[in-house]
Amino acid sequence: MATSSTAPRTRPAGRQRVSSALGKLTQYGLLALYGLIVLVPLLMLVLLSVKSLAGIVQHPLHVPASPHWGNYVGAWTKGDLGRYIFNTAWMSVASVAIVVFAGSLAAFALGRYRFRGNQLIYIVFIAGLAFPVQMLAVPLYSLMNALRVIDNPFSLVIVYGSTGLAFSVFLLTGFARGLPREFDEAAVVEGATPFYIYRRIALPLMRPIIATVALFNFVTAWNGFFFPLILITSRSQMTVTVGVLSFVGQYQTEWNYLIPALIITMLPPILVFVVASRQFVRGLTAGGLKF
Amino acid sequence: MLVPGLLIYAVFVVYPLLASFRFSLYNWSGVGPLSDFIGLGNFAYVFAPSRFLPYVSRAFLHNLYFFALAFVLNGALGFALAYLLSTINRRASLFFQVLYLIPYLIPPIVVGFSWSILLTPGYGPLAHLSKALHVAYLPVLGSSSLALPTVVGITTWSILGLPILIFLAAIINIPQEILDAARVDGCGSFQVATRVVFPMLRSTFFTILTLTWIGSFAVFDLVFVLEGTQAGPNYATDVFGTLFYRTAFGGFGSTAQGMGLAAAVAAVGFVFVMIISGIFVWLQRRYGDV
Repeated sequence: MATSSTAPRTRPAGRQRVSSALGKLTQYGLLALYGLIVLVPLLMLVLLSVKSLAGIVQHPLHVPASPHWGNYVGAWTKGDLGRYIFNTAWMSVASVAIVVFAGSLAAFALGRYRFRGNQLIYIVFIAGLAFPVQMLAVPLYSLMNALRVIDNPFSLVIVYGSTGLAFSVFLLTGFARGLPREFDEAAVVEGATPFYIYRRIALPLMRPIIATVALFNFVTAWNGFFFPLILITSRSQMTVTVGVLSFVGQYQTEWNYLIPALIITMLPPILVFVVASRQFVRGLTAGGLKF
Repeated sequence: MLVPGLLIYAVFVVYPLLASFRFSLYNWSGVGPLSDFIGLGNFAYVFAPSRFLPYVSRAFLHNLYFFALAFVLNGALGFALAYLLSTINRRASLFFQVLYLIPYLIPPIVVGFSWSILLTPGYGPLAHLSKALHVAYLPVLGSSSLALPTVVGITTWSILGLPILIFLAAIINIPQEILDAARVDGCGSFQVATRVVFPMLRSTFFTILTLTWIGSFAVFDLVFVLEGTQAGPNYATDVFGTLFYRTAFGGFGSTAQGMGLAAAVAAVGFVFVMIISGIFVWLQRRYGDV
């Protein structure tokens, strides 16, 4: 009798286990549901990419009896995708190098040292987040013309290497502010220069956020569309996004080539990300994002 | 140490920005010398009710609508999914984080083409799917009331991984003792989420608010691909980005085209976005910390 009177107060262990198992099921169920929302459209595209044109239009949802892998070969050769990918790849990597070098140095100075104008410079950098980059189009076009890099992916290296600094300096400075100061103080006592502290102490500690910044800028440069649209004109210099646009213009109705071309252009940044994802996620989750 | 970054930034961002403000004071088509100085004439044109104001305010309202809907989606879904991710084991959590970020890595223009294929009325896959399920298929991109929310939905699909990670970072930083204490006091996980975690993330909500605000006024690629520079149907998806593009590069006919006017439109947008962002950042500093 005594047990029955205490029963309502403490939940029986068995029921609790059932309810926590149900809870887990709901948690994973909801997460998986959003996973499907992400994946299903992409899988639909992959499915469409290996079908004949007639198949795409008549039975878009059927799995084809024999996949038309030839669609990919056709898209690759017709679209000259290899060249676009090559142009985009070196352009993106070079602009990331500029952002990481200049951005981490500036962030180190802004995050670690007090000097007149610190706050003002920081605001100038993050103000770059607040306007549509299209606004810079015409002045940048004239600048690039003066530098004789129009119709050359190098112009895009400059554009993404500089516009990328806004968000990167914001992320890097936030991280630099949170680094422990004991090391610097010890190094200063021993006579180290700020540049030495940057290279030997700050840079290694900033590695996770640098990985995040590098990936962000890689993706921005790779995915950029507006600037290649106005700065690049000849086909041999195009990056993937404008390349795809001209591909769409040419093969608008030939979905059997268009869809594989879209998938090929999606793949490189996704592959880079999957390789670097652990670092990226760690960098972004290391400190709270705050202006 | 500031020199390399500041130099690059000054030459290729700050200078063009100032140059763009300067253009806004001229009647200038984009080529030839800057000679026809008209002072604030372009701004007068932008704000003249019989001239450009209807276009500007329509684009402005569309950006605002975009922002409001995107913030609700980013805030609600981002927070909910991030909270769920924080409660499961780390390996599974990392797997979902990577999965959710994948659409963010796809160029917006490719996202746009892909969705316009999937959403094609008549013979597109989603039209087939709804026929198979006996649901009426709406040509969402061609409907003047549904086009804009569809663009917001596709945008959210492509970027949501980022707000999720930002929320997750903040949730991870909440001291474990606080969550344990709440559980000991008898909170279930739903109550922990709504009564403990949610109020502690005020600052993060402000971050998402500011980023969504800025992002909503920068939207261009997806509208360009899905609805063209005319931002159809019947300008139902016209935003600052497309309005600027048409003004600068043509699309309005001879009555309203020119770099000077486009620069004035952009300057108005910039000042406005800056002011509101500044207010959000101020609010975050004032009320963000718990």
